Order: sequence, then structure tokens, then C-alpha cells
Amino acid sequence: MTLIARRLAGHLARGFVMILVVATISFFIVNNIPGDPMAARFEKLVEGGMSPEAAAQAVKVLYGFQPDTSLWQQYLDYMAGLLRLDLGESITRPGTPVLDVLAEKTKWTVLPVLAGTLLSFLVGIILGVYAAIKRKGKLGDLLAISGSLLHGIPQYVLAMLLVVIFATLIPILPADGPVDILFEPGLNAGYLGSLAEHAVLPVVTYALSAYGGWILAMKSSVVTVLGDDFILASELRGMKRSIVFRYIARNAILPLFTILALSLGLLLGGAVFIEKIFNYPGLGLLLIDSVNERDYATMSGAFLLITVAIIIANIVADLFYTVIDPRVRSGEEAA
Amino acid sequence: MAQATTGQAPGVRVDGLTVVYKTPAGELPAVRDVSLTLEPGSITGIVGESGSGKSTLALSLLNAVQPPGRISAGSVEIDGLGDVVGFEGERLRKARGAHIGYVFQAAQNSLNPLKTVGKQLLDLGRSHGVEDRRGLLREAQELLGRMGLDGARVLDSYQHELSGGMRQRVGIMLALVLNAQVVVLDEPTTALDMITQANILKIVREVHAERGLTTLVITHDIGVVAEVADRLAVMYGGRLVEQGPTRQVLGDPRHPYTKGLIKAIPRLVGDIDQARALPGRPPTLATVPKAGCVFRERCALRMDICDTDDPAAVAHGPRIVACHAVKVKEHA
Repeated sequence: MTLIARRLAGHLARGFVMILVVATISFFIVNNIPGDPMAARFEKLVEGGMSPEAAAQAVKVLYGFQPDTSLWQQYLDYMAGLLRLDLGESITRPGTPVLDVLAEKTKWTVLPVLAGTLLSFLVGIILGVYAAIKRKGKLGDLLAISGSLLHGIPQYVLAMLLVVIFATLIPILPADGPVDILFEPGLNAGYLGSLAEHAVLPVVTYALSAYGGWILAMKSSVVTVLGDDFILASELRGMKRSIVFRYIARNAILPLFTILALSLGLLLGGAVFIEKIFNYPGLGLLLIDSVNERDYATMSGAFLLITVAIIIANIVADLFYTVIDPRVRSGEEAA
Repeated sequence: MAQATTGQAPGVRVDGLTVVYKTPAGELPAVRDVSLTLEPGSITGIVGESGSGKSTLALSLLNAVQPPGRISAGSVEIDGLGDVVGFEGERLRKARGAHIGYVFQAAQNSLNPLKTVGKQLLDLGRSHGVEDRRGLLREAQELLGRMGLDGARVLDSYQHELSGGMRQRVGIMLALVLNAQVVVLDEPTTALDMITQANILKIVREVHAERGLTTLVITHDIGVVAEVADRLAVMYGGRLVEQGPTRQVLGDPRHPYTKGLIKAIPRLVGDIDQARALPGRPPTLATVPKAGCVFRERCALRMDICDTDDPAAVAHGPRIVACHAVKVKEHA
């Protein structure tokens, strides 16, 4: 379909420019944060009981270089590297490319947050439809209230609550990292099983704290569609209940796909509290650590990754709309 | 699809129909003790102001009064089908569309915005167990062509690609394509421009005659009923106050409300000030009097009995009028 191809080309061009702009801004902001990585490490070592002289020596050995080019030159180098997908080397992990660090951390963010988002979306829309149909009854109210209530509990409180209950009081689920180190990483049953087992609590935490939003959004969307004339018209034409239900569902879920696509874009921002409490070495923690250690390269890389994810999510959401909503399609043709 | 032939049009008899809506103040009647006969093959028009209960009456013909409303008394007898007030579940669903067609107001969006007209037509066919899908599509194209549209193009269109007049014709097609013999049109020309209005009314008349239908047209526009209806019923405050052959009712109105309505129409020639608006405003669900005549507050002929007794609908030849003053005059 040429229309979609044309839209995609336009989006990609705009996305590319946006990425360059964001990369530029974040480069200068990051490099102008007070403090520098060596001072940060130096202070850490001194706090750890090392004498200032020894600490200075250690820092010198650890980093082994002093940047001597101008900031402007560094910026040009950085952008040139970016075009080759080279994000530079991590400052606190000398010799390790930032890209590798990000790739390693990404999976521990994607696993719980993606699963949590999809689970909460699924549960939320199903219960949302139910809450809309039974909106006059007690159960419908209860569902909506439960969602708001859980949404109101801070995520870290909910996470700790679940850890206390299911990992400490009734120790049936692990909460000590993403996987049992006993297993060899790979596509074997033991490793995957352990992965899944460890993911239960973080995923449930995420889903519980997020599903309320989906219920409320879906409920109001369904209620709106139920009041639409074409639903009554379909009933008056004697349409089967199952067909009318499909009409309602498809029209009601439409606006929620946008929210879903955008929240998947935010996914790589990580869920800091969940990563911290369940010991998932993900992007959220990486970002916090790199800020504390003034690891410019990693920071810029992480920011850039989040930017790219959000831009891609926006593009996907827009293209998806073109596919599922005929009104968006012809709006473009008319323009 | 069997081709419709004139002469097999079913009659419809509404008898003592009362529809109430549940409100915090209790159940209030929107339609009260209405009796109306739609002669086989005729076009009947119902006129009334907003809130007079005419749409509720129209929905009752399909036993489709929406909650919190319900039919609390009376019957709607349709030839060859029975009393639809007693229908429920699958039986009711199958009667809708297949026996009774309902055409929505043009301004309302009666189509699923995400599906083409053709796909919705096939959904309709599947709902009613139509096996011959090609036949259904052909029938729909013929109907649309009959109404001056390019059938193939319209079936391939989404709602937003159609104009108001085209949507209305699609609505009529969907009401008739399963060969329904009783058709209810709710405000068929509201929100359409004058030329499209005239077109739609012409189509309604012609299709009605060709397919041998029994048609009910609901409107607040006396011009519309004057144009199409054989019989005319005037509704006020949930009551039918006057009914009879269209020409007689418009030419020689008996009920003071009908008289007021006709006096309120501005003439094309002459002084605009000759048009007299009815004083007061129509009652709402909550302000309809519990006893006595519903129109008495605005009536120039009000008598003592109007406050206490609801005037019965009395036949005067082919006319039926519910008014104490008219009765008195006849006897005097």
C-alpha cells in the first residue's frame, strides 16, 4: 500500500531529525552536569577509607586518560560515531562499548515491563468491558474502584508488600534477581523456567499498579460506544448479539491502542523501583547509576535509547491507526 | 429473496399501548393508552413536538423501548407475526429487520464507522441466516440503484464517505433488503437540505408503492406528512389527540392542538404575522398531568371537565378525536 509507505517515509525522516536534535541536546546537558566521572570515583574511594593520594593514583590508573579536546570537537566525534551506531565506550566500564552495556541491560527491563504492560492491558480491557456493561451494578463499581485504588498505591510499596507476602511470609516465589544462577543461560527448560518463575512477582506488581488505568479507559470508551446510534441501529436491524458485541469492542478499543503504543515507547525508561526491589539489572538502574557516576557516554546512550523507543512507538501508533481506522486513512487521501 | 408483490402488505394494530419510563419520581408514562391502526399498504404519519412520545411509540412497534422505559400495557399486533409486545430473545431479534424495518434519523450515525456498508450488509445477512450472499448483495445494489445511487460504489464505502442523503438511502436499503413489509421511518428528512428532503420523500413514496409496504413515518414536520401520508395522527403529551385521513385533518382540524399547529405554519404568501405560535410549552415527562386532558394548560376551549377527565378518543366518521370540547360541539 503506497499510502502507508509514503506515511512511513515521512515519519522516518522526521524521526531521524528528532533523534539528532535530542542527541545534541542531551549531549550538551549531560556534559554540563556539575562534577566529572573522575571526581565522582575519587570521592567514592576516599569515602571508602582510601587516602586522597592513593585514591587519586587509583583513579588515574582506572581511567588512564584526560580528555584534551574541546567540547565542540567531542560533540562532532560523538555525532559522527552515532551515525555509525557507535555510542562510545562506557567510562565506568573501560573497554566496554555503551551499545553492549545497553543491550545487556535492555532485556532485564523489557522482560518484566513488557510482560507487565501487556498483562495489565489484557486484564484491564477485559474487565473494563465488564465494568461498562455492569456499570449500574456493584461489581462494576468494585472493579473500577479496585483499579483506582491499586493505581494510587506507590509502585515500590506494592512491590515490597508482594515481596514480604510471597517471598518472605509464604516463600513460594523468588524475588532475588531475574534468574537462578544455577542454570546455564540458553534455550533450556531449566533456565527458561527459572526466568519465568522469577518474573512472576515483578510482572504482577507492574500489572497490578497499571491495570486500573486500562479498566477506567476501556470502561469509559465502551460506555461511549454503547450510547452510539449505530449500536441501537444494529439491534433494531436484528443483528446477532455476537456481531453487535464485535462492533462495540472494535470501536471501543481503538483509542486504547494509541495509549498502549505510547506506553510501550516509555517501556525502555525502565521501572526503577521494580528493578531495584526485585534486583533486575535493567535500564532504569543503569540510568540512575550512570548519573551518579557521571558516566557521560552511558547516560547519553540511555537517553538516546529512550528517545528512539518513543519515536518508534509514535510512528507505529500512527501507522497502526492508518491500518485499523478507515477514517484516518481517507483523511490522508483528502489532504 | 422473494420479490414483493402488492396486496400482501400486513396491517398493524396498536391497542391501548402505554409506555412508562422509570424516573426518581416513579414510573411516568411517555405514551399513554394509544390505539392506532396502520391499514395494509398505507402510509401513516405521526406528527408531534419533541418529547410528545412519537419516537417511543415508533420503537414500541419493534418492542425496542430502551431502558429505563418499558411497555407496561397494550399490544402491537402485526399480521402474520402476532403481538410483538410478547416477543423476546431470538424471536424478537429475528422479527426485527426481517419483518419490521426501522430507518433512523438521517443525522444519526446508524452505521458502524469501521466497516464498509457491504460488510455490514453481510453481517446483517448472517444474522438472519441468509444463505445466498450474492443474492443479498444483488438485491441491495438494486435497491440502491432504484434510489439513484451507484450500488457497487456505496457498498464499498465507509459511512464517512457518504453524504447525509446517501446515508439515509443506505438506511432505507438496510431496512428493506431482507424484505421487511412493515417499515418505520423516524424523522427521515431531519437535517437534510430541502432538495434532498424532497428526493427522500419521493423515494419513500415510490418504494412504498412498488414493494407493497405498510409504512409509518414519524416527524415533527407537518410538510413531510402532507407530502407522503395517507393517514395522519397527531400526538401530544404521550396521547394521540387526533387522527384521520391526511387531507381531512389538515384541511379541517378538529382538535384545538391540531388547529394551533396548523395556524402556526407560516404561509409562503401573505403576512408572516398571520402565523400564530401556540402559547405555552409542551409538557415534559414530569409535567404531564396525571388526570384530565394533557392539552388543557394551553387550550383556549378549556372546560371544567378537562381538569378531571381524560377525554376518550371518539370516532367521528373516519376521524378520531380526543377532546371534550369537540364532543360537546357535536352534541350541541
